[in-house]
Amino acid sequence: MLATLVGVLCFNIYLSFNQARQTANLVTDNMLSGSARMIAEAVRVDESGNVAVDIPPAALEIFNTGAADKVYYRVITAWGSLIAGYPDLAEPAAADQGAQMIFRGEPVRAMRLSHPIVSQRPNATVDVTVAVTLNRAQGLEREIWRYDLLEEVILVVVAGLVTIFGLRRGLAPVLKFSDAVQASNTERKTAFDESAVQTEMRPLVRALNGYIRRTEAQLAAQARFISNAAHQLRTPLTILSTQASVAARASDRKLANEALSALSNTTQRTARLAEQLLTLTRAEPGSGSWTAEPVDLAATARAVLESLADEALRKGIDVSFTGPDAALVLGDRTMIQEMVVNLVDNALRYTPSPGQVSVEVRAAPAGVVLVVEDSGPGIAPAERDKVFERFYRVLGTQATGSGLGLAIVREVVQAAQGSIELGSSAAGGLRVEVRLPAA
Amino acid sequence: MRLLIVEDSGELAEWLARALAQSSYTVDVAGDGEEAEHFLAVSDYTAVILDLSLPKIDGMTLLRRLRQRGSKIPILILTANASLDGRVSGLDSGADDYLAKPFDLAELEARLRAIIRRHHDLAAPVVAVGDLTLDSTTGEFRLNDQALSLTPREHSVLTHLVMRRGSTVKKSALFDDVFGLEADTDPSVIEIYVHRVRKKLEGSNVQIATLRGLGYLLRVS
Repeated sequence: MLATLVGVLCFNIYLSFNQARQTANLVTDNMLSGSARMIAEAVRVDESGNVAVDIPPAALEIFNTGAADKVYYRVITAWGSLIAGYPDLAEPAAADQGAQMIFRGEPVRAMRLSHPIVSQRPNATVDVTVAVTLNRAQGLEREIWRYDLLEEVILVVVAGLVTIFGLRRGLAPVLKFSDAVQASNTERKTAFDESAVQTEMRPLVRALNGYIRRTEAQLAAQARFISNAAHQLRTPLTILSTQASVAARASDRKLANEALSALSNTTQRTARLAEQLLTLTRAEPGSGSWTAEPVDLAATARAVLESLADEALRKGIDVSFTGPDAALVLGDRTMIQEMVVNLVDNALRYTPSPGQVSVEVRAAPAGVVLVVEDSGPGIAPAERDKVFERFYRVLGTQATGSGLGLAIVREVVQAAQGSIELGSSAAGGLRVEVRLPAA
Repeated sequence: MRLLIVEDSGELAEWLARALAQSSYTVDVAGDGEEAEHFLAVSDYTAVILDLSLPKIDGMTLLRRLRQRGSKIPILILTANASLDGRVSGLDSGADDYLAKPFDLAELEARLRAIIRRHHDLAAPVVAVGDLTLDSTTGEFRLNDQALSLTPREHSVLTHLVMRRGSTVKKSALFDDVFGLEADTDPSVIEIYVHRVRKKLEGSNVQIATLRGLGYLLRVS
């Protein structure tokens, strides 16, 4: 901005310098013209045809302005006879126009005037050339230019001051607003006052406020989650600590062993809970750990069932799988696997012995469907929305669980842009149907 | 001494009960607020360990109802919520003490002993009845400054009687305190234990008197 201003200023100075020179030349030319005319009018032709001139003093005194300018003149007839003045003074090519010349080593401004005279010769004219050194012209030029320059500098300074002052004033609310935003770093985030800034800035403040509100909501949800998670971790930790105490104080070996084996189970469960919490955090939108790659859902389901088969048999639950050799969906490999683990683990957990858990994978238009069915108690229609909430557990549930399984499943399904539906299975248990987009 | 644990995590309740049984407490477990109210209505407990987040009737409501009914039973609150507000409102609602999960078993037991002691107006952890002293911290009885050796059941009987020294204790209450709810033992078996304890107290100035139709009374002769 400053560079532009300086550029404009230089250009302006150049223009006014030219203007000053032109003005000074014009003044000089007027004087030269007047002087030449006076001389021309003093030219006389006598009866014998001789041309003579009596230079009127006024014609030279015009230039007597105290600038010590030297005046040169020459009067010559069209046929080349010098009547008066300096014979070596050159004539400007064009008549009636001021011209810049060098005479006797000095720059001069000269003008030629052609004046008709009464004579028998055809085209009888005299050419009067007047030249003057440039002291006065340059003085005048400088004076005009200086005045212009002064005017310009004043204008620029005033304009600059006005600009700075105006910007300061105009930007003051914005600067104040920016201070307010900076200061609010430490405190709780509240909405900023829109009316503190100019009308043009208000959409920006409004957008910022909207952003703050969304961030706030996100932070609050996160804080709730962390507090819930801490809450959920406290009970298993208490159980662990109690089991350890029982084992430490047990007088008989049987009780000590029992307590230690229970402690090991509780530890595994607590570790699983921690794992689920991590999975949830990773599945969250914007966590940045989500990748979209082709994942074989059929192979994943088969692998999960195989890894849980032993546990299922121990509990007296039949597991079955139906599905194609491969069914590719688009999602994060770890997350998809976590989803299947949680679905099957839930089914096993809530299904009493003897019971069945069946998993089916099949291709569907524009996607792949995963169905997990069990012969457990199922979930009442009124509860079906709530069970997706984190830490929600159906009242009176006897089986141990964190209340995170279905929350994880939903987050994964949402992140993979699929859909999930809960229903009743043929055996009266829960039927979970997940639809994921095909790879 | 008989305790009621009100806790919705069955696993935690089970292990707490086992741990407290190691310390010679008789423990009943209620899984929700309703069950707890029922238990409290039909039996006498030395103290209650109450979790605040319970199905059906939540812990705080149960606590307020108990106190409104005039019950002075020592209550120790357990909760996963360790916030100051929770502690304050818990204590203001009539709890005697407050413990946040996770806690150390030793601390739970120390606090239990403290609230039971306070309930029985015992500033000092050592209770003395004539020649007999009970260190409520260690649960150790001494007679004429000699350690008194008791079986766990005998210990429970004598502890109950010492805590209620100077007043009569019904046979059924003593039985409940020693055997708890699950016991399918013949109630008259309590007489055997009282008899054994009596023999161990022989030669001192402490007596367990039998008052027909009323129960037992621990007294200094």
